[in-house]
Amino acid sequence: MLKYLKELCLMDGVSSFEDNVRDYIINELSPVVDDMRIDALGNLIVFKKGAKRVKGGLMLAAHMDEVGFIVRKIEDDGYIRFSAVGGIDARVVLGRRVFIGKDMVPGVTGLKAIHLVSAEEVKRVPKIKEMYIDIAAPDKASAEKKVSLGDKIVFDSDYLEFGEDKVKAKALDDRVGCAVMMNLAKQDLPCDVTFVFTCQEEVGCRGAFGAAFSVNPAYALVLEGTTSADISNVPAEKKVTRLGAGPVIGCMDGSTIYDEGLFRMTAALADEAGIAWQIKQYIAGGTDASAIQRTREGVRVANISVPVRYLHSASTVACGKDIKDTLKLAQLFVRAIAEGKAGK
Amino acid sequence: MDLKKELQRFCKLSGPSAFEAPVVKAAVELMAPLTDEAYVDKFGNAIGVRRCGKKNAKKLLFDAHIDEIGMIVSGYDDDGFLLFTSIGGVDRRMLPGREVTILTDPPMFGIVACLPPHVLSREEMDRSIPMKDLRIDAGLTSKEKAEKLIPVGTPVSFRNGDYGGFYMDNNLFCGKSMDDRACFLILVRTLELLKGRELDCDLYIIGSCREEVALGARTAAFAIAPDACVAVDVTHAATADNKGEDSVLGGGPEIGIGPNCTRWMTERMKAICEARRIPMQLSVMPGASGTNGWVFQIAREGIATQVLSLPERYMHTPVEIVSLKDMEYTAELLAEFALEPGWGVSKC
Repeated sequence: MLKYLKELCLMDGVSSFEDNVRDYIINELSPVVDDMRIDALGNLIVFKKGAKRVKGGLMLAAHMDEVGFIVRKIEDDGYIRFSAVGGIDARVVLGRRVFIGKDMVPGVTGLKAIHLVSAEEVKRVPKIKEMYIDIAAPDKASAEKKVSLGDKIVFDSDYLEFGEDKVKAKALDDRVGCAVMMNLAKQDLPCDVTFVFTCQEEVGCRGAFGAAFSVNPAYALVLEGTTSADISNVPAEKKVTRLGAGPVIGCMDGSTIYDEGLFRMTAALADEAGIAWQIKQYIAGGTDASAIQRTREGVRVANISVPVRYLHSASTVACGKDIKDTLKLAQLFVRAIAEGKAGK
Repeated sequence: MDLKKELQRFCKLSGPSAFEAPVVKAAVELMAPLTDEAYVDKFGNAIGVRRCGKKNAKKLLFDAHIDEIGMIVSGYDDDGFLLFTSIGGVDRRMLPGREVTILTDPPMFGIVACLPPHVLSREEMDRSIPMKDLRIDAGLTSKEKAEKLIPVGTPVSFRNGDYGGFYMDNNLFCGKSMDDRACFLILVRTLELLKGRELDCDLYIIGSCREEVALGARTAAFAIAPDACVAVDVTHAATADNKGEDSVLGGGPEIGIGPNCTRWMTERMKAICEARRIPMQLSVMPGASGTNGWVFQIAREGIATQVLSLPERYMHTPVEIVSLKDMEYTAELLAEFALEPGWGVSKC
C-alpha cells in the first residue's frame, strides 16, 4: 500500500483540529522540500523546486481534516451531548467507541437496548442531537474533569488490508490525497510545485479559499477521496463510482464544473498510460476545487480522486490499485503541466 | 484467575449461538483447576463440578450462558456482497457501517455496507434499514469468489477493532458479549471464593450454550437434575435514554422477585445481602424473566429457581458496559449462597 497512508489514517484531525496530521507531514517532508509555512487558518503550504518554473505556477491540494464530532453539552448525570462536524449519517454513529479531546478520553455512543424499544421505534434512527456519549462519569462534575465543551470527538478505527486488494481505515477521505501528495513531494519534480495540505474542507472548503489566494496559482490539481456507492443493491445510476475501476477524473460534482481542457488532458494521459479511469455517475459531493476555482480572477482546476466506500463513517474502504494509479496519474499530470500541455 | 485479563479474553472470543465452541473450550480450561471435574456435555455446554464428597448430597446449579448474538451468512449477490440474517436479537439500527468478523478459518474481515450521506435524502437517513436489505462487504469482487471462501451458514460476529473490549473509569468494562460472559466469569470467581471451603452440596457451574435462541440450559438441567438453580444473566441498567425503573450500574446484583423465582431462594439471597452488607437491587419480574431461569423452572418435575442479574448498559450492542464492582458483589452473594443455601420447600 502507498507509503504514509496507514500513519496518516491513524491520526486524528477533525476539521479545525488538524494539528496532529500537520505535524506529521511537516516532520516527514521538511528534509526534502524548499519551503514550508502554516497560514492563519492552519493550511500547511509546502513549496518544492522542480526542473523548471511553470508560468503562473502549479498548486496541488488535499485536505488534512476529517469528519468527526464536537462536545456540545455535559449533562447532570455525566453523559456527553455532541454535534457532527461535517456531514455524518446518524446511522453509522451508534454503538461505537470514540475518543474525546486532546487526552483521547474513551467513550461509547450508547442507545436504548433493542429489548426496550417498540417495533415502531426500531424503524427510526435517533438524530445525532438525541444521542449521547457515555464516558463512565457518574455526574457532571466528574465528566468536566475529563471533557470540556468544544472538545473534538473522533471515531475509533484501526487500519487493515483485507479482501481482494482492499484497505479499511477511517479518514481515507482525504488522507489518501495527503499520502499521494507526500509521495510526490519526495520525488524529483519536473517543475516547481506548491503542495497545500488544507484544513476545514469538511465544513465548507474553508481552508482552500485563503490558500488559493496566497499561492495564487494558474493551475490547481485537487487530490481527493470521493464517494463510491457501488453496493450491490444500489441502483446503477446511484453508485456514483466503482472501486477497482480506476481513478476518478473530475468532470463535474456538486459544487464545481472542472476546467474542460485539464479534464481532457488528464483523461488522455490516463489513456496513453493504459490507466483505467472513470467519472462520477451521480452529481454529489464537492472538493476544495470549488473554493480554489473562484479565487482572485479564477484558477483552472482539475481533480483526481480515489473512489472510497462508506465515506464519512469510521470504516472507509478503498482499493489498492485505484490508489496506486491515482499517484501515477498525478505524476503524469505534473509532468504534462511542466511540458506546457495544458494549453490556455 | 486474573479477572481483568479474562474479561478481555472472553470478550474477544467469537461465539454466536450454536457456534460457541471456542468459548466453551476456554470456559472448561478456566474451570478445570477450580473444580473436581470440568467437561463439555453432549449438547455443547461447558460444565464444572465441585463435589462435596457427602452421601446423598443435594445438587446446586449456577448458570450463565457463553454464547453471544451474531449473524449468519445466508447468500450472495452478483458483486460478491454477502446476504445475512441475525442469530438472536441484533439491533438493525446499529448495523450500517459495522465492522464484523466472518468466522471462516482463518476469520475474514467485513463491513455492513452503507451508503454515504452524499447520496441520501434527509428522510432516508432517519430510517433504519431492514436486515434483509443490508449486505456484508468482505472486499470480494464476485459471487464465485464469495461462494468459495465463505459458505452459506458461516457465522459472523461483531468486531471491535483489535482491542475487543476496554476498561473505563469507575471499574467499568466495555465490550461485546458481556451478555453473558461477564456472568460466566462471576461464576468462576465464585468458585475461587469457595476454594478450600467445605460445601454441603455438589455445585454445578454451567457455561451454557445457545441461550440467545433458548436451548442449552434445557438439556443441562435435565442431565444434571439439580435441586435448585440460579440463572445469572445481565439486566438493563439505566442509561441517558432509559432512566425509568431499571437497575443502576454499580448498585450491586439485582435479585429477581416474581413467578420465575422460587420464594425461599429469593428470601435467602436477600437475607445474605443484608447480613453481609452486599449492595443489592430488587427486580420485580411479573412473568417471563427472559433468562435461562425460565426453562430451568419447568425442567423435569420442576426445579427451584432464582434469577440473579448483573446490571448492564447497552445490551446486545458491541459496547455493553458492566461494573467490576457488581461482578464481585454478585460472586460474594453466590459463594455465600452455595455455602448455606438454606434449602426450603419449593412452592414455585
